[in-house]
Amino acid sequence: MNSMQLYLHVNGELKQWTIAPGDLLLDVLRREGYFGVKRGCETGECGACTVLVNGKPINSCLMFAAQAEGCEILTIEGVEQGGKLDPLQEAFLEYGAVQCGYCTPGMILSAKALLAERPDPTEAEVREALAGNFCRCTGYLKPVEAVLAAARVYRQSRKQVRPSGARPKAERRPALHGKKR
Amino acid sequence: MSSEHSIVGKNLRKVDGFKLVTGRPAFTDDIHIPGLLYGKILPSPLAHARIKRIDTRKAKVLPGVHAVLTYQDVPRVPHTTAGQSWPEPSPYDTYLLDSKMRFVGDRVAAVAAESRAIAEEALRLIEVEYEVLPAILEIEQAMSDGTPVIHDEPDSKGIHDAQHNLAGYILKEIGNVEDGFRESDLVIEREFRTQRQQHCPLEPHVTISWLDSDDRLVIRSSTQVPYHTRRQVAMILQLPVQRVHVIKPRIGGGFGGKQEMLLEDICGALALATRRPVKIEYTREEEFNMARSRHPQILTIKMGVKRDGTLMANKMTVLATTGAYGSHANTVQGNTGSKVLPIYRTPNMRFECHVVYTNTPVAGAFRGYGCPQGYFAQESVMDEIAYTLGMDPVELRKKNMIRLGDIDELSAQLGEGRKGLPRHIRSCGLPECLERGAAAINWVRKRETLPEKSGHLRRGVGVACSMQGSGIAGVDWAAASLKLNEDGSFNLQVGAADLGTGADTVLAQIAAETLGVTLDKMIVCSGDTDFTPFDVGAYASSTTIISGGAVKKAAEKVRDHLLRLASKMLDVPVDNLTCRDNMVVTKCECEKSVSMEDLAHYAMYREKVQVMENASHWNTDSPPPFCAQFAEVEVDTETGQIRVLHLVTAVDLGVAINPMQAEGQSEGAVAQSLGYALTEEMLLDGSGRMINPSFLDYKMLGAKDMPKLTTILVETEEPLGPYGAKSISEIPINAPAPAVANAVFHAIGVRFRKLPIRPEDVLRALREKAERG
Amino acid sequence: MFDHIECFYRPATIREALLLLRKVGKHGRIVAGATDIVTQADRSTRYLVDVTHLGLDYVRGNKRGCVIGATTTMAGLEHSPVIRALAGGILAKAASTCGSIQNRNMATVGGNLANASPAADTAAVLLALDAQVVVANSRRKRKTALTEFYAGPHRTVLNDELLEEVVIPALPGGGRLGWSFQKLGRTASDISLVNVAAGLQADARGRIKWARLALGAVGPTPLRARNAETLLLGNIISEDLLTHVGVTVMREVNPISDSRASAEYRREMSAVLARRALRECAAQAGCKP
Repeated sequence: MNSMQLYLHVNGELKQWTIAPGDLLLDVLRREGYFGVKRGCETGECGACTVLVNGKPINSCLMFAAQAEGCEILTIEGVEQGGKLDPLQEAFLEYGAVQCGYCTPGMILSAKALLAERPDPTEAEVREALAGNFCRCTGYLKPVEAVLAAARVYRQSRKQVRPSGARPKAERRPALHGKKR
Repeated sequence: MSSEHSIVGKNLRKVDGFKLVTGRPAFTDDIHIPGLLYGKILPSPLAHARIKRIDTRKAKVLPGVHAVLTYQDVPRVPHTTAGQSWPEPSPYDTYLLDSKMRFVGDRVAAVAAESRAIAEEALRLIEVEYEVLPAILEIEQAMSDGTPVIHDEPDSKGIHDAQHNLAGYILKEIGNVEDGFRESDLVIEREFRTQRQQHCPLEPHVTISWLDSDDRLVIRSSTQVPYHTRRQVAMILQLPVQRVHVIKPRIGGGFGGKQEMLLEDICGALALATRRPVKIEYTREEEFNMARSRHPQILTIKMGVKRDGTLMANKMTVLATTGAYGSHANTVQGNTGSKVLPIYRTPNMRFECHVVYTNTPVAGAFRGYGCPQGYFAQESVMDEIAYTLGMDPVELRKKNMIRLGDIDELSAQLGEGRKGLPRHIRSCGLPECLERGAAAINWVRKRETLPEKSGHLRRGVGVACSMQGSGIAGVDWAAASLKLNEDGSFNLQVGAADLGTGADTVLAQIAAETLGVTLDKMIVCSGDTDFTPFDVGAYASSTTIISGGAVKKAAEKVRDHLLRLASKMLDVPVDNLTCRDNMVVTKCECEKSVSMEDLAHYAMYREKVQVMENASHWNTDSPPPFCAQFAEVEVDTETGQIRVLHLVTAVDLGVAINPMQAEGQSEGAVAQSLGYALTEEMLLDGSGRMINPSFLDYKMLGAKDMPKLTTILVETEEPLGPYGAKSISEIPINAPAPAVANAVFHAIGVRFRKLPIRPEDVLRALREKAERG
Repeated sequence: MFDHIECFYRPATIREALLLLRKVGKHGRIVAGATDIVTQADRSTRYLVDVTHLGLDYVRGNKRGCVIGATTTMAGLEHSPVIRALAGGILAKAASTCGSIQNRNMATVGGNLANASPAADTAAVLLALDAQVVVANSRRKRKTALTEFYAGPHRTVLNDELLEEVVIPALPGGGRLGWSFQKLGRTASDISLVNVAAGLQADARGRIKWARLALGAVGPTPLRARNAETLLLGNIISEDLLTHVGVTVMREVNPISDSRASAEYRREMSAVLARRALRECAAQAGCKP
């Protein structure tokens, strides 16, 4: 079994993990305890595995962990700040947008990325942002309302949302090759 | 009604919401277990076959493999996988592992290995030689003479007629429908077909099983029915029930697909064989092929009506398939009759149903439980009757609908699997549902002005009604226990299974209301067979009314005990005391009071008593919720695509314990029903294999596809429900499909009697209509 | 799932990448967005070569047209000001319909082309823009017209080569131009059942000087409907003409039936979408039918 070292930032913390070259990011994150990243389809359709990589939502089930080298990852675990819920999390609770909760981490991250780009989105833009997050419980209405409500809170508090966290990128390491044990 | 309460009727945040929005570990797989092995099931590649020879030697010696099981290694105990009360009204026709394969995906063997990759490799190393048998894929073929028998094993029980592949048969009649047709001025008979729909919970089925330090088998599983699962696993693995412990964590959706003992038996068997913890987790493809789905049906409805719109006779004949095994076969189809026909007061009703086996994926419980099929047919025919008579479809329904005070006799004949009980309608908001729903969609104006002829787009509006049930009368029961803590908080222990429905929250609200405390004082523990009392589980829309009934009773007992203690502490008669705002206070103006916290201290450290009560509850009736749904659609006559613009749901749920959660339940049900109407179908090829086992090609509606949703909660007070509640989790899934089909008829003058209504079908029908001139 | 991968390479230069690709041969796969590789799960793959650090993520407009690096993502195309300004924005629009935002943040234009799904959303547009692709291996570099690039469903002429760049030659200048991209799916986010990319230019009297019509998902490869294009030349757009064009398109396409749609439906929709696309082009060009 081959292994390689992976250096990256997760939720603002520098991580060094031992991975296999073919490991998928979803599997590595869950193995390392980030249970909020969910497995739903493993084909990039449902978005339950959504994480932000350098601020952009991607399906971690379709990304090789090795490709995350030097990147800043944000998972749902990194959304609350010092025990305080993010306005998106508060809004999802307040607007009844959480039922089973399985899609919720992915939705919140997709919404967070949207609001970083567009602080005042239209409903259509919110639906576009959530189009890659399947939900079988809510019919999407309350999640959309929650995102619009959170957007209002962000604008009111004039917070500058930085979805990728505050730490600088890990130093870019030279090309890595899998090393046989 | 709900306005006089402080907790019930309020949009309070879910008690489990915090852990869900923060992604805290809460679901079955959110756990690291040292020594965990990966279990995998080898699925049959053939729809109908016998194992001639199976050789597991190569798989067994693969490094990292700890067990390989075939039918030769496990006990043979006929059972049903249906999560139902004992004795289950489904055939006992399933085996842990068998030598006969009855559908593509049926269990051939199971392995447990150190990693997923090794487990998958082990499956590839199992050598199987099959005797291929002719497969029956079409419903209409199943009962013919000379057709191969799918369940020819001698030890299965409860199959109606195995030789003719008949899993179940139902016939019930009230009055005489032939007389009724003779008295009718108009008789319409139509055939409808509905498809195989899949639940697609975002969390696939997953189970982890291990032997604990007391050598008891622990099963941690994504299940709606922890107690039924415990009983069934014990029976199948030949263990005493007390040696099995089932734990239900948070569940990522179920919709009835997890009202089933699906992986727990095989996972437990692997844990016993390896004496290691084992996890089996379905991939999405396995979830499609090897889980459960909605029963496909062919329904023939014949309705007779007088010129003035009075219904005289309703005859429904159903041919359904339960797939390869009979889980929920009788009860789902029984519902198609018992919860559909009686919504209209018809003196003559007849329901006949054959449920056949076919070599296709196994059907089971799915939200609505037979009603979506039945209402699609019945509400479409009602629409056709209205059109033929020149009557407003809403008026036709108002004229015939069941009313407050009525007694539904058909339910007495068609209880879920056993003799039922007559249904008394003690609360009925259907008239208000129709009125408020019609107003919300602007029904009258749109019926007159649409379809406006503008280019290639046509719009229309349609309506459909439904009723459901709230719990299974005389069968569903639940228990709850409440324990006081020294700070005035309470542990609420319920066997009820919150599968994302908000059950934990609703039950906590009922308890808090009864105790006069705020919701944050409730700590809910649910779905653990060691630590929570019995509950049949989450199905039949039973949780709020049955589990809630038990919670209310237990809370009343606790309240009484608290008042007695407070009476002693405050030296005030019990009659003069009441609980509210986390306190016990006097009703009179002397204003003596004690906080719940101080009272708790007094109870525990002075009186030295644990305030703790439990209660059990069941109902002799199943009060139906009612619903009227309206759809506005736009049909593109060039592409055949149907776009739903607006879906209005007006639902009588009794009293809404948590209106916001109730709306959410309704909105999700509507989304599933629109998929049922337009896009969702499990497609099988000529050899019985599913062609589209992925979200790429099994199309559910996403965030950009949903129409405008209006949800109107019509509140009535149901005497049998806690604080007047009935249910809401299933009913809104019943009528959007016929409402859409009826709206399409309004738009383009074509009736669709087969689901899903695909764009190609629309174009073909438009072409045929144009050719007819 | 991919336990059989022995090595994950991340070359820093194109030269290094090409040498690696030669070394790993047919057990190696190029990884960019990984969206197709992971879903295809080919168990014979032993080596992965990540090409996203070769500096191939760029969009550069120039007088002669524009060039797009092969590892530019769909999201990159969607948001690039150069691509949004190009040809009425139809390439940006096509890219914006590829799956979800999560998919678009990973999927690359090079991967989309190399995977050669007949339904690829950018392919029809690139065909309509007369695109070329630059491919290279360790021995040589060559430029091929996209029309010559496809060999069949999921097959290209790539011969152990890396797709480096997509070149869009200078588009005709002047006024009375119109472009359109139309896509039909079962739901709002779907693989194409049919997609159409069209462009035309009219003269001062409204006669069509040139027309380009490309379709995807209705043949073993994306195609240019040359006969339909010829039919348009020199004529004034009218509903009659569009009807004829539709009939011609139906003869030029060769769709299959699958679980998504029947061949007949795809064929019919080719005509419907072609007419809608041309109507939109004509409206932009100021010559409505």
